[in-house]
Amino acid sequence: MATADHSSDPGVAADAEAGPGTETEPDARYTFANERTFLAWTRTALAFILAGLGIVQLLPPFPGVPWGRHLLGVPLIVIGAAIAVVGYWQWEGNQKALRRGEPVRRSPLPRLLAAAIGGLAVVTAVVLLLSAMH
Amino acid sequence: MPPQRRAEPPEPRPAEPPEPRPAEDFDPGLAWERTRLAWTRTAIAFAAVGAAVLKSHLVAGLTVLGLAGIVWGLRQLFRDPAVTRSQTARLLGVTLTVVAVALVALVLSFVGYPR
Repeated sequence: MATADHSSDPGVAADAEAGPGTETEPDARYTFANERTFLAWTRTALAFILAGLGIVQLLPPFPGVPWGRHLLGVPLIVIGAAIAVVGYWQWEGNQKALRRGEPVRRSPLPRLLAAAIGGLAVVTAVVLLLSAMH
Repeated sequence: MPPQRRAEPPEPRPAEPPEPRPAEDFDPGLAWERTRLAWTRTAIAFAAVGAAVLKSHLVAGLTVLGLAGIVWGLRQLFRDPAVTRSQTARLLGVTLTVVAVALVALVLSFVGYPR
């Protein structure tokens, strides 16, 4: 009972203008969902950058570990930039897959995020221990 | 306890489809609204980074805050969901802006902070 003017199945969309082969414009809702996913990763990236900036600028130096703040903050900022880039790359790939009616690729971002948080937690623990032993 | 009373409330009509599709299937406006809100949240996140940068560097902070304003404005641009050609440029621009902000943050964290 599809009363809307858009097709409920992106594979059946009749718009063949999009490009070579079987590429069609996907349902607007899928495009929106893909865009929201991109924006969510962008915010995650901004949160990493903000955290790195805050650690380097606002935290007092760890006693005995003067390089500790940079050791924590700089990777956070770099990972933030990487998340933003990979997020865009993923959005592009998903949009292409939607146009072709293919399944979307598996996202590398959750693994990257988990590795980053886990690694930073270990580094934080080491820095705190070194500082406490000082 | 009369067992007949159980049959008294009208049962869900069997003629209807068992699982009605969610309302958004008929109304992409909700998806549009959610996406607009996502842009708003992203702009606010930009502004938060701008405020953090502002603490150490006035010009860089104001620049990032200005970028937050641009992101805030970008959410208005996709009135027509079918227009996806400009979308690529828009999202690529946001991505490059985030990378640029990260570079500014890196520079600020190494150069130190002019008081």
